[in-house]
Amino acid sequence: MLFAIVLLLTIGCIAFILVREGQGGPRPNGLRGYIRTRGWGLLLLPVAMAAAVMAGGAHGLIPAELGIAVLAIVFAPRLAAKLVPYGALGLAFFGVMLAKTYRDGSTSKVQYLFVHAGPGAWGTRPVLAEAGVLFAVGLWLLLRLDVPGAGVVRALAARWLDRRRGGISAVQALLLIPVVGLAMQLLGPGNWFGIGAIDGLDAAVIDLAVATAALVLIFRSRAWAATVAAAGLLVLGAYGWLIAAFWPAVPGFEYGFSDLANSSTPTPLWTDALEGSLLLALGLWLAPRVMRHHLADPPDLELVARAQQLTRRVQTLTKTRYDVVDTAAAELRRIERDLHDGAQARLVAVGMSLQAAERLFPTSPEAALALVAEAKESSSRALAELRALVRGIYPPVLADRGLADAIRALALDAPLPVELDIDLPGEVELPVASAVYFSVAEVLANAEKHARARSVRIQLGHTPLAGGGGLAGGGGMLRAQVTDDGWGGADPAQGTGLAGVERRLVAFDGILAVNSPPGGPTIVVIEVPCALSSPKTSSC
Amino acid sequence: MRIVIAEDLFLLREGLVRLLSAHGFEIAAAVASAPELLEALVEQRPDVGIVDVRLPPTHTDDGLRAALAARARIPGLPVLVLSQYVEQLYARELLADQAGGVGYLLKDRVFNDEAFTAAIRTVAAGGTVLDPEVVGKLMTRRSRDEPVARLTPREREVLALMAEGRSNVAIAQRLFISEKAVSKHAAGIFAKLDLAPSDDDNRRVLAVLAYLGS
Repeated sequence: MLFAIVLLLTIGCIAFILVREGQGGPRPNGLRGYIRTRGWGLLLLPVAMAAAVMAGGAHGLIPAELGIAVLAIVFAPRLAAKLVPYGALGLAFFGVMLAKTYRDGSTSKVQYLFVHAGPGAWGTRPVLAEAGVLFAVGLWLLLRLDVPGAGVVRALAARWLDRRRGGISAVQALLLIPVVGLAMQLLGPGNWFGIGAIDGLDAAVIDLAVATAALVLIFRSRAWAATVAAAGLLVLGAYGWLIAAFWPAVPGFEYGFSDLANSSTPTPLWTDALEGSLLLALGLWLAPRVMRHHLADPPDLELVARAQQLTRRVQTLTKTRYDVVDTAAAELRRIERDLHDGAQARLVAVGMSLQAAERLFPTSPEAALALVAEAKESSSRALAELRALVRGIYPPVLADRGLADAIRALALDAPLPVELDIDLPGEVELPVASAVYFSVAEVLANAEKHARARSVRIQLGHTPLAGGGGLAGGGGMLRAQVTDDGWGGADPAQGTGLAGVERRLVAFDGILAVNSPPGGPTIVVIEVPCALSSPKTSSC
Repeated sequence: MRIVIAEDLFLLREGLVRLLSAHGFEIAAAVASAPELLEALVEQRPDVGIVDVRLPPTHTDDGLRAALAARARIPGLPVLVLSQYVEQLYARELLADQAGGVGYLLKDRVFNDEAFTAAIRTVAAGGTVLDPEVVGKLMTRRSRDEPVARLTPREREVLALMAEGRSNVAIAQRLFISEKAVSKHAAGIFAKLDLAPSDDDNRRVLAVLAYLGS
């Protein structure tokens, strides 16, 4: 009955949480909104219930624990949510302890949440399985809710994933766990000193120490874990065969799933042989791989680092390529719209005015002349719009003179005084020059429009890179710094201007750094890796 | 008046030739590239060279460079530079030798043939004609240099119109003031910019240059 309540509570809470997860936006009123704000903390109810039941459920423990859980959920929902993973992990640990007491023979019957171990049941397996499920759920919640401890688990996992070198796979190293388990079963403290001679806490401490050592070995060195596992598999497998062949001359303890110690007949011998064969097979499979690994040259760390670098690079490039294509497409759409609504429309107007003028000439030449004047005016406007459009696509002065002069022209056109400090001994290739030009133009416009600066200083320079470059550029670093004396408070995360600049630069592995405390001054630094070509020579 | 035309687009070159011939100018040469232009300017020594900024061989600012090279050899050779766009940077480079006889206009100013031919004559006479778009940017800009900042708003207006190559008469008409008043403003401008008395045309060029450099 109590377990049914735990089960129903769990299912109910998970259902509510799923409803909450699926919905965004403001929280609804009433009960549903209340449940949504409590969220994961609600799971504390079934956890507390289960814990109380496990502890015996006597002397009003269940109402007390449930009461505390409800109080936590109502008054400290965050704390309640954080307690849930620990509770689940604790219950899982408790399950393992229960299984152990049953196996030690301390109790004849064990009830663990929804399953039990006892005569007629499948031994402790259901209990261990349930504990395993709870452990997995607890671990998942630990990571999902990001409670203290999640960082350690993540770091361990990352370290584990990071150690994928040396040709030994995770699974191969993990074979150490069953090997150690079997070894402890055969050679564990219970067998050294006689069953019952050493037990309880002492045995648990020894088991725990060995298990910890095995885990540390697995995480520290996958290769050595696999080596020990291979040796263990071969020895233990051979030992299985020895038991099968020479029992009882060879002392027969518990060996895997067979238990000769408590059996007077040799009937389970074939299971020993089967288990021994399996272990031998695994050992024979693993041993050559481990030996090959140890005999092979040590992994070329530089090559590994390079591969990782390349992987990261490919990820960056994939992302920026999408951005660039996206930006380019948007730009083309804008140009198309500008042409369509601007110059094209004006040329249509020119044609219509001329057509009307042609018809009017014989009858009223003055009206016709007025129309021709109008056509001239329209064509002038069309040209002005085309000029503005071309400037936005690719400033002619940049095409004519390169980056340094384009920045000089930009400074001259600015409505506020701009001090220039340009030192470019060569030419920047056009795509990079264009990106830097438009970035500086945007920053300059911001200084004037948003920061209300009274003066601006633009520094433009190039540092040849010592010792060769990385994957990009290779020829040095182009650096533009724009300093203004305005209000400050610029933030690339706010507004589209600086974010657009950043997107433009990222395509060339460039960066944008903004230092703009409230009250100013604002310093914007643009850096793009690139090489300089020799200065353009005059054609005349 | 003899003119050399440099324009690489056939349609525009022929259009200019036709327009200027119709107004009684003599076309000494009509060329399509920067090296040809330099040769024509130096050999023909026209009264005015009308030059497109963007010319072969590199299709960047070859025309401008050729015009500057010709003026380096023949100081004060009048040059009217046409372009699809105007840059203060180029205007400053053209005026830098302080010799006058420089024009810098958008190509669409050709539509107004009276103003255009007037500009050609001003340049031929040693004056300075800057496109209203260049001058307009100067007007919106906060002055950073002392002398120009000292000008009154009215004087700045007069200076802007001077930069566009307008005569005192034209400026007077434009601003609805008397010609005498314009002369007074001009004198005020020259004084504030510390331009020593010399011939009026040269002082105008220097005043415009100071304005550009401010």
